[in-house]
Order: sequence, then structure tokens, then C-alpha cells
Amino acid sequence: MPGLGASFGRGAATNSQQDFINSDCILIMGSNMAEAHPVGFRWPMRAKARGATLIHVDPRYSRTSAHCDLFVGIRTGSDIAFLGGLIHYVLKHERWFQEYVLAYTNASVLIEEGYEDTEDLDGLFSGFKPEARAYDASEGHWGYEGSPSDRPDDAEETGEAAGRGGQGIHGYGLMGGATSHGQPRSVMTDAPAGEPPRDPTLKHPRCVMQILRRHFARYTPEVVAAVCGCTVEEFTRVAESLCENSGRDRTSMIVYAVGWTQHTTGVQMIRAASILQLLLGNIGRPGGGIMAMRGHSSIQGSSDVPTLYDLLPGYLPQPAADPGHDTLDDYVQHEGLPTGYWVNLRKFVVSLLKAYYGDAAQPENDFRYDWLPRIDGDYSQLLTFERMSRGEMTGYFVLGQNPAGGGPNAGLHRAGLRQLDWLVVVDWFPTETATFWKNDPDAPPPDQIKTEVFLIPAASSSEKEGTLTNTQRLLQWHSKALDPPGDCRSDAWFVYNLGKRLRALYSGSTALKDQPLLNLTWDYDHERPHRLPDGSFSRIAGEPDVDRILQEINGRKLDEIDPRTGRPRLLSGFSELKDDGSTDSGCWLYGGVYPDPEHNRAADRKVDEGPGLQPDWGFAWPHNRRIMYNRASADPEGRPWSERKKLIWWDEAQRRWVGDDEPDFEPEKPPGYRPAPDARGMDAIAGDEPFIMKPDGIAWLFAAGAIKDGPLPAHYEPVESPVGNLIYPRMTHSPTVRTLRGPLNPLAESPSPEFPVVAFTFRLTEHYLSGPMSRFNGWLNELQPEMFVELSPELAEERRIQHGGWLTVRSPRGRIEARAMVTRRIRPLIVEGRTIHQIGLPFHWSYAGASVGGNANDLTSVLADPNVSMHEAKAFTCQVEPGRLAGPVARPTVVPTAWPDTRPIPETPRASQPEGKFVRSEPPR
Amino acid sequence: MNARELEISAIPEPAETPSGPVATILGPFLPVVRPEPRTPTGFYTDTTVCIGCKACEVACKQWNQLPSDGLNWSGDSYDNTQALSATSWRHVKFIEQFASAGADAPSRWLMMSDVCKHCSAAPCQHACPTGAIIYNEFSNVYIQPDICNGCAYCIAACPFGVITRSDLDGHAHKCTLCYDRQRDGLIPACAKACPTASIQFGPIDELRDRAHRRIEELNSRGTPSAYLYGEAPTATYSELHSFYLLVDRPSTYGLPESPFNPWLRMRGDYLRSLLGGLAAIVAMILVWTLRMP
Amino acid sequence: MPTCTDPASPMNAAGYASRRVTKPPNWHELVAFDMLFNNMTTGLFVVAAAGDLVSRPAFGPLTRLAYPMALLFLTIDLACLVLDLGHRFRFHHMLRVFKPSSPMSLGTWCLTAYSIPLGLLSTIEVLEMAGIREIPAWMRLASITTGIPFAMGAAMYKGVLFSTTSQPGWKDSRWLGGYLTNSAIAIGCAELLAIADLAGQGPVRAIRTSLLALLAINLGFLATLIVELRPAIRTLKGGHRLDLMLTLGAALGVWVPAILILVSGTMPTIASAIIDGIGMVLVLAGNFLVRRSIVMLPHHENDDGIVARWDGGS
Repeated sequence: MPGLGASFGRGAATNSQQDFINSDCILIMGSNMAEAHPVGFRWPMRAKARGATLIHVDPRYSRTSAHCDLFVGIRTGSDIAFLGGLIHYVLKHERWFQEYVLAYTNASVLIEEGYEDTEDLDGLFSGFKPEARAYDASEGHWGYEGSPSDRPDDAEETGEAAGRGGQGIHGYGLMGGATSHGQPRSVMTDAPAGEPPRDPTLKHPRCVMQILRRHFARYTPEVVAAVCGCTVEEFTRVAESLCENSGRDRTSMIVYAVGWTQHTTGVQMIRAASILQLLLGNIGRPGGGIMAMRGHSSIQGSSDVPTLYDLLPGYLPQPAADPGHDTLDDYVQHEGLPTGYWVNLRKFVVSLLKAYYGDAAQPENDFRYDWLPRIDGDYSQLLTFERMSRGEMTGYFVLGQNPAGGGPNAGLHRAGLRQLDWLVVVDWFPTETATFWKNDPDAPPPDQIKTEVFLIPAASSSEKEGTLTNTQRLLQWHSKALDPPGDCRSDAWFVYNLGKRLRALYSGSTALKDQPLLNLTWDYDHERPHRLPDGSFSRIAGEPDVDRILQEINGRKLDEIDPRTGRPRLLSGFSELKDDGSTDSGCWLYGGVYPDPEHNRAADRKVDEGPGLQPDWGFAWPHNRRIMYNRASADPEGRPWSERKKLIWWDEAQRRWVGDDEPDFEPEKPPGYRPAPDARGMDAIAGDEPFIMKPDGIAWLFAAGAIKDGPLPAHYEPVESPVGNLIYPRMTHSPTVRTLRGPLNPLAESPSPEFPVVAFTFRLTEHYLSGPMSRFNGWLNELQPEMFVELSPELAEERRIQHGGWLTVRSPRGRIEARAMVTRRIRPLIVEGRTIHQIGLPFHWSYAGASVGGNANDLTSVLADPNVSMHEAKAFTCQVEPGRLAGPVARPTVVPTAWPDTRPIPETPRASQPEGKFVRSEPPR
Repeated sequence: MNARELEISAIPEPAETPSGPVATILGPFLPVVRPEPRTPTGFYTDTTVCIGCKACEVACKQWNQLPSDGLNWSGDSYDNTQALSATSWRHVKFIEQFASAGADAPSRWLMMSDVCKHCSAAPCQHACPTGAIIYNEFSNVYIQPDICNGCAYCIAACPFGVITRSDLDGHAHKCTLCYDRQRDGLIPACAKACPTASIQFGPIDELRDRAHRRIEELNSRGTPSAYLYGEAPTATYSELHSFYLLVDRPSTYGLPESPFNPWLRMRGDYLRSLLGGLAAIVAMILVWTLRMP
Repeated sequence: MPTCTDPASPMNAAGYASRRVTKPPNWHELVAFDMLFNNMTTGLFVVAAAGDLVSRPAFGPLTRLAYPMALLFLTIDLACLVLDLGHRFRFHHMLRVFKPSSPMSLGTWCLTAYSIPLGLLSTIEVLEMAGIREIPAWMRLASITTGIPFAMGAAMYKGVLFSTTSQPGWKDSRWLGGYLTNSAIAIGCAELLAIADLAGQGPVRAIRTSLLALLAINLGFLATLIVELRPAIRTLKGGHRLDLMLTLGAALGVWVPAILILVSGTMPTIASAIIDGIGMVLVLAGNFLVRRSIVMLPHHENDDGIVARWDGGS
């Protein structure tokens, strides 16, 4: 989530779900929260009961819309136009929170001379390199005035750094967004004389505020209505609701989910929301902020302790095969920030290397920094599968994922799997990915597929213990209730034992390449036999002790032994980390989760009465701060903005920050503290600068070099769209998108007459993702038994489609059949003076399971946005026709479990025993 | 504290039931110790906060181990359950109210989780000829499945169409209000699973108070159409121990506009029945005595 | 395949209003037969017993056949009930409680209680036929006097059971019980007439005349019932067929037999016996048609669209 990271310093939801209740207005956009996060939706509902206004802006009237006070239907992919319009409205009507914006954002900072905006270049920013389809922020002068970037003589000689190695190498390390230049991270902002030049009057034509005003001047309500397909009145009501409910006394919250992120402009949508919330003064305050609703359980955890190819745990950038990353010193010099909290980067890396390599990591060998793999290309999932489909890979492991069913352009993913020599799938059920070689109706016969597939049975969540990190950075421990049946094993067991066997295979090797593996600390055995809750011993041998793993992640003082355990003392937080090798930590960000061998804070379960932040339920990173940047909940002098919205404040008597949340600030730094001009690290952050992860301590309205597709959000159409760009007519879609066009990934030229209908995928409460956990379950299948497509009565009439009948949807990538759900919840939109039809496709079905059907992801495309290589499943074009598909159709791969089975039910009187029919057959297809 | 999470303290299990051949034969005729009456409990379903997630349906099926009803896509909005039955004790209803044209027309998507109404004077209980349907110690209407003989009279009697007979075991089934969970001090599975407190469980008096407060709040905040269904007795029907907060006519939600308890007419029907018989007998004997020598 | 009235929108603003709320009980043909045989046994017994009381010498030869036949009908009736319950162990489960609030419980007890004097009487008749004559008269009298109220109860409860429900039509038919009890006597009278014809004994003419009177009264009850049912029938898909069945039932079960019996009174003995027999069969057939229409009424779907989908899983 570089959008949030670039703006505020950390790429995660700013507030907690419990905090919804304190909000006065909640704008849900790009999220179908009631359906995708039904349990979390209790909090917006309780806010509503307390009088908050709920707004839903979405292409489709969903179960979320049903509970909002205001629903505005827009065209999918037009979100930046809508948000830009809101920013325009706030600026034009002077509804922004002046004191907040002046003190806590870079509104007054001057930008380098030479920066040119989309206004000047008709849809492009300065620094665009057409041959690379990329920006060089340094050449484009996106930096602060007076920064090294502004003084070419001081800047490092980088040569063709921006283009070297192509996109996708420099990930979004430090949570600050991927850098859009090849120079050290600090080059755009590091002012040698302390503060960068500012104009507190906000009059200077090169100050951020003036740039903002010019940039968003085009986004008038009329333009918004024309692009989005809503009415001016609807838009104005949303704008007014937000403005009325923001300020000293009131706060508004914005909620988004994959409805924003799954666009080629997703990062910039989030940036637009960040700018809006900063202008309204809603960041760091109770009931404010931006909630990023994550799509899977623990997907936040898998970016924190990442499964991402370009990050090390705790958002440390994965070293690249660049000269700038040669040694540890180079790496810290290149990636570190001299001011702000990231000055501690070296401590985090050294502690991580100590956790990885233990005693082998020593100061004299650079803590074995050289053993870390270097990245030399884009190894994101989509690009990996694209390579796989070209036959460039031999084997693949899939754990907890279903690319053959749920990957965008799933046909390409399956074609990729067919090119493999071997595939290991670890899952509960034979998913699409595990059975692509025999059950895919579009595939060649099994004897023509060479891939050898191993399906490893996995344990379910109640059969293993560990933590989940949810959407609000909250680590929650879940206990193991019972042993998994048969050969099922936890994913941790699988990875741990795979590692053990690999180490055994390579043991004794002296080859340099094998040393990282052989020296890895890989010792998580249970010291005592593992007991289950009922007191019996677990029968599973070789299960790693997850407690010990979490303790390693938490971090330890290696030079102090805890007499109670005989092992190194646990750290109480990441502030205790050292860069001399005397501490280790598997992920600095999680420091403090296990401060004591007796106290796993992720397992805390204390419920607070009232609308509190529930600080003793689980553990939220960083350091259990529930609302990040909460220094901004007080004014520059340290007083709450209002009694109603107070959270933390400066207590002069105690000389520290106090309040209802853990301060996200140095607890004893007074509001009046001013850094010396040459101050470094946290000393350079003044007492009124709440965004401590940012080098200048303030939030970025203007993202100086941290985002690859521009310092400000600009509206571009989706890559596939039936209309042109009404705002920047010369640029239809984002200039920095990688389209990955190929025979398996054809794209419709925009605007395309062959595919005039806009399609988007959506989620139903009743199923989970591509269905591997739900379409094998009779209780869930019966609730949504078949693939359907939602379309408007107008489109149905035009195409002669009957409600309840069959229809076929065709995109350049594939075609599927589905039942027609004709509903007025979908409305045609008037865009550019003509009617644009949209259809919604739930993405839950495919060919494996008890309920099978057309796979919406057979229609979506593989695209890669420049920042996070994200695809665009939420907007593509298609054609809709009545009738079914000719050719083979998927059949259920499992027979629903009969219930009750024919054996007598134990301890039940004869009269209650089943005596009827038992066999339930599937309805004929 | 959210009262939905109110837990009823556990009560001790009754003493061991006697076993052995004598008890087996005489069992049904031996006096039984009835459990002490407890505070009457029930459901209050606030349909205005139902998000249609169907967690109640799944929680109910899982706890009560009810079978899946098969894969039948209805096309009626998102309602693929279609009806309460012996195998579906919770049913989430979806009502799409969208004007046919004009973007400004008011639109609504109503959702409601339906369940057995647990009538305080329940026609099904009156009807049951075996004594299988009882009011348990929580004043909930409970079908004892081992006693039920599947006569289906309760199905005919229920004015809300709640009960059907299972073709798996031939007995009538419906919501038990998680009698087993209540006895163990737990709240019913559906109420436990409901994420938005649309389904609230608790002592019925407390629920009524809460519902009245909610109505006042909604009425004062621009929802004048909100009202309670079944929380108080009417001239023709008793109060329901599972009552609803609705914003449209009852029939929109598939509820009878004014439920009628058929037992109000049973005496009269017996009298008319007798009259029919007597009329015939009297006429017949009269003819005989006139026509016979 | 889902059906909906507005092809553009699966659910219109009226939501579930067009659907029937109640579910039909799992009662089918067997129950229609149960209703008929219930009336055949109770009616025959009550008529025979009344004759026994009015004039033992006149009706004595008829009861010899009537009581065992009533017992046979009762057995068939009970078989229908047991089979309809789906399991042979289920009928007697109803005897674990006596529950006057439930017409079914009351009816079960009445049927059971009625079976005892009926069985006794039949045994007496069989014994007497076998030549054993020394059975005390008080036993017969006691059996008759205890049998009549229970037989009446068994005849009366059925209609009340149906009208004390929430089913469309049934719940509106206040005279359903009256009609059924009334027609039980008429059926019994028709049966006795046939027995009298068969035996060639007894007050055939008196019975014939009384049957005419009973049919006339029965027509009144049936007309009332049809008037009560008609509003519900009108809302049903295929309601006109139900209406037709009821009219046909009235014609077959009342009008035609009445005419036949009027005619048969003027015929010679053999011919009149045959016509009486035909009349009785028609009475039974007509009554069955009426009963079947009533039993199946809730299984018909509403006319305005949605099927009463749940058919009890059958």
C-alpha cells in the first residue's frame, strides 16, 4: 500500500475498525464492506446507530449500499475523477482545515523549479521517459526545493539508474512507496539546512498548495458527473457530507478495499483519498483516517513479514543487484533516511540478519549481508506466471492460494501450470490449481499435460496455532483446538520440515551459495511434548513451536539470558534494537508483541466497555498504537483539537504525552521542541511534526519521488474502457502501465466497439475468494449455488436476456456462461452523452468443488501497475450475449457429503434415528 | 456491554434418568421431574441492521447439524434458501425495492432473518397430538424429536409456515432456540454469529424494552415507518417470543398481516360439528318413527 | 427455473407478499380415504346403533352385518392413518398423552375408545351368528350406549381438525365439521340401506325415505361449505378445477343418488336393490371427491405466481 505509505509514512490502515464507532461520516468507496467484511461492518453500523452518515460510492448497489444513507453509482475505474472532484470542492470552497494543513502537511513546501504538472503537459508529469514508459522523478524535478535532487552537482552520478533493470525491482521499502529514481531514497527531500524552504502564506506559485489547486482545477462537479456517470447533485451531497463532518469537532473516515487496489491506478486512488483526508484534517484522529480493508485473513501479516518478492520483513527493501546495494553500508546509505524514524534502518537490518543467520552473522562479516539474495527483476506473481506460461519455469509451490481459479486471466495461469515439470499444492481440498490437469474443461486431455502435481493435505485454522494480522495491523493469536486428521499438516509444519530436509540434503557443502541455507537458524522444535487444550498430547511429530517463532520475530537481547527460560531475554519493543549485533528480531515492526515469556500480547483478550479502542485485545503494530500518527489528534501546541475528538495530548505536569492511545510519537518530546539545523534522526523531528516515519515529519500532499506514476493522482481510464479520457484527452490510460500483451493475454483497444460493456468482479458474503474454502461446503454452496451475472433490465432487454436464464460473457481473454440476475441494483450510466452498460461478476466459481461454474477470472487480464505490479480485475470490457456456451462444461468434482450418514447416531434414541432417504443428488445441469 | 452477548448462567443437569428393563418399559408412565421455569427468553430481530450475510443460517446448520438443501439457484435476489423448513431453521429474506426509472427514485434493499416465532400461545403446540411440542423452561416452543410422530398437524396449524417434516427422519423440526445451548449457558448460535446484532437474544422483557427504545430512536431520526411486529398480543394472536422490527408491511416480508390463532374457533367448530350430526340423527329417527309400523 | 411477475426485476417492491405464508401439511390421498372411511365406519355404526335402540326387532337382522362391517371400515381407516404417518410405530405414540386441545389427540382417543364397543358388538354378532346365544343383553346395550358418543366424537373431530388450522380454505370453513359429521350419518344410512337390500330384511322403505331426507340436509351443509371455501379456491391456480370437483362431488354424492333412490322406491325388490347399491356407491364416490378436493386444497399453488414450493420434502 504505497499510496498510504507515501502520504503518511506507513503503508497500512491508519485507524482500527473499532474506531469506526467514533466517526461522524464514513465514505465507503472501492469496498463492499458489508459483504466482504461482514464482521467488521458491525462497527460502521454502530456508528450509524450513533448518528453517523454512511456513504457508499460504487458501481453496484450491494448489501453495503443497502445500509448507507447515501449511495452514488459510478462507472468502475472513475474513482480518481470522483476523489479529485472532492479535493477540488474542498479547495474551491475553502473547506480545508487550515491550521491542520499548515502544520502537519507539506502544503507550504516549495517544489523544485522545473517541475511540470499534468496541467502543463496535458496528462503527463515532467520526467517521463517514453522509451521506458516510466518517470524519473529526479529528472522531472519532483523534489523539494534545495534538496540534493535540486542541486545536480551534489547528486550522485546515477547514469541510467532509473531505467536499469526495468520496473519492479525497487519495491516499496520503508513503507514509503517505491522510489521513482535510481538515487538514494533521501535525495528528493533531504534539506541540508534543516527545514526545506516554505511559504506559510501558501501564495508562492511553486508551493504544494498552489500546485494542488492548479492540478485539480479541472475536476469540477460537472466533469466528475460526466466522467463517473453520476449526477452533480449526488456528488455535491457527498462533498457536503464530508466537509460538514470534518474539522475540529467532527471527523470522517474513508474505507477502501480491492475495489481500489485492483486497478492500474489503484495506488493513486489511495493517494487521492490521502490528500482529501489531509486537507480535511482527518488523519491521526479518532473516527478519521483511511481504513484499508484487506482481502484475506492475515494478508496484512503477509506484507509485514512478507511473502512479497521485493521486501524483507518490516518493509526493508530487498537488496537489488545494484552497486548501491553492494555492502551493508551502501544499502543503509542508499535506502535509509537521515531524518525521522528510519534513521534506525541499520538496527533493523542487523537484527534481522542476526535472526536469520545467528552466530554466523558477525560485525566483521557485515552480518552476512552478502548472503541475502539480490533481486534483478520483477518476480511478482503475475509476472512470474507470465514467465511460466512462456515455459521459463520448472517447478512451483502453491500454499494457501488458487491461481488456476483466482488469478487474473486464470486461463493464462493454467497455461503456465501446464508448462511446469512439477507443482506442489498444499491445501484442504483438491482445488482448481491441484486438479487443472484433469478437470479444466478448456485444457487438453490429461495425458498431454506433463506436469507432475503433488497435493499435500493442509490443516485448517482450528487445527494449528499462530497469529493472524488483520486489516488494522492487529495480531491475534489463535489456539489449536485439535490435531488435524490423517496426514494433514499445518503450513508451518510443511515449510519447517521442507527446510530441514533441504538442509540435510546440502549438509557438508562448502559451496558459497549453500551457506545461507546451511547457516539459517532453523530450530523451532517443541522442547516439551506439545499438549492440546484437552490435556492430551498432540500426535503430530515435527510440528514447529510457533511460540518460539513469534518470540524470534519479537526480538531478543542476545547478550542477556532470562533465568526463567535459559534463553536470551525478550525485547519489550523495537526501540531496544541495536545495530552492533547484540539483538536479533525477525521483524522489527512486531517488536513488543512478546515482551515476556509469560505474556504473548497477541493472545490478550480484554474487552473494554464503551466505544474505546480495545487496547488490550490483541497487539497492533507499531507498539500497540491503535491510531497511527495520533500526535495529529492534538493541535501544534499539544492540546486536543476539541473535547469531542480528543485522543492524546501533552500533559505539561507530567511532561509527557498522555491519553487513550499509545502515543505514536516520542512520549516525552514537548510540542515546542525545535530541532537544530543539523539534527539527524528523530532529533530532526520537531515537537509538532506527527508523521515520524517521514523524513520531514509531515504528511505529503505532494509525494516527492515516492510513487512511480506521479507525485499527484491524475485520472486515467482503465486499460480497457469503452470511453476516452475526458479529463486528459491525450492520455487514455496510465502511461506507466505494463500491459504484458501476448497471445495468452490479448487486450481490447480502448475504446473498443467489439467489447462495449464494462465489467467488474465482486465478492459475495457466501463464498470465499475463488472458492477453495467454500465451494466444497454444502452449507455455503446452498446459499449461492451457481455462478450468475448481475445486469440491468435495460441491458437485458437490449440483448434479449431473460432473468434466470443463461447468458454468455465474452472478453478478449475468454468466455464463460452464467445465470442472468437481472436487477435494478445495476443501472446504466450516461457517459460522454451515451449509455454505458456495466455488469458485475462474482469471482467465486470455477471447475473444482461441489458447486462449479463460469470463472469470472477467465475474462480478466494480466496487467501490472508500475508501483506494485497490480492487475485490473475491477475494470475490463466484454460483450454479453444470451444463451449458453457450446462445448464442454465443468462438472462437480466432488459429491456433496450426505448427511446424516447411514450409521446410527450414537447415544440417540431409536425414534430419533434417521429412517429416510440419504442420497442427495445434484440438480441436473 | 453489548447485551447480545449476554450469557445465561448454566443450570445443573437433572439427575440421572433411571435405566434398566423395568424403566425402559414403564419409563413413559413414570412421573417426571419438570425443570424449574426460567426467565422467558426469545429473539428480537432488528431488520434495519441486517446485512444479509446469512451467518445465522450457517451457524444454525452447523450447530444443529442440519443437512444442506442442495444447489437450487432461485433468482429471487440473494434468497436461495426460499423457505423455513425442517432443514433450514433460519431464512434470510431479501426484498429489492427499486423504482423502475429515474435515478432519484428512492431505493431500498430490505433484508430480514426469519425464524420460528416461538408464539407464547403456539398453534403448533395446541395441535401436537403426541405432546412432542412443549413450552420448555425458557418458555420457548420446542419439538422433542424423539416423541414427534410426524403427523404434520403442527405444519398445518402454524400460521407462519415455519415447520415442515424432514424426509430424512420423518419428524417435524424447527428452531429449538438452541435449547441445548441455553441449558449450558450459551446464547443461540445464530445470535452469537450475527455480526451486526440484528438478531438479539435475551430475556423477553429486556428485549422488548430495547426494541421500544430502538423504535423511538428510529422514529425520531427519520424512519417513521419502523414498528414492532409481534411484540404485543393482538385480539387474534398472542405475543411472539421472537418478534421483529420492520419498516414495511408485514406481507412484504412474508409475514401474515394479522395472524389468527385457529384455536379461537375450535369450540364453535365442535358445536357446529355436533349440530351437523345431531340434525342428521334426529331427522333420521323422526323419519323412521313416522314411516315404521 | 424461477418465476417472477416482473421480468425486469426478480423481486418487486411487494417482496414476499405474493407468496403463501403457510406450508401445506404432508397429507395426500390416504387422508382423503381416511376421511371417507372414518365417515363410513362411524356413520354406519351410529345409524345401526340408532336402529338397534329404536327397534331391535326391525334392525336386528341388519346390525348383524353392520357392526362387523363398521369394524372392517375402522380397520381400513386406521390402516390409512398409520400408513399416512409413514411408520407403523407412530399411531400409538399419540396415545401417550390425552390432549383435548388437539383435535387429533381427541380424535385418536375417540377412535380408539370407539373401537372397543364396536369390537365387542361385532364379536357378539359373530358369536350369535355362530349360534352362541347366551350373551347377556346388557352387554350389547352398554356397548351401544358407550359406542355412540365415541363414534360421534370420531366423526366430529375430523372436520374440526381441518378447520382448526391456518391453511387456506380450511381455516375459513366453519361448517366443515358440521358437513362431515352430517354426511357420515348420510353415508351410514346409505350403507345400511344397501345392507338391508342385501339381507332382504329390515325396514327398507323407512331407511330409504330417511336417506332422502339426510341427503337433502346434507346438500344444505355442502352448499354452505362450498360457499365458505370458494374465496380461497378463487385465489388458487387451477381453482376452477377444484370448484368443478366439488360441484361434481355434490352431484354424484347427493343429487344423483337422491334421484336414484326416489326411483328405486317404485321398483321391484331386485331392481331397487341394485339401484340402491348404485346409489350407495355414488354417495361414497361423491363424498370421496369432496374430501379429496378439501385435502388437496393447500397443495395447490397461489394463482399469482410463486409456487408453494415446500411440499414437505416429498
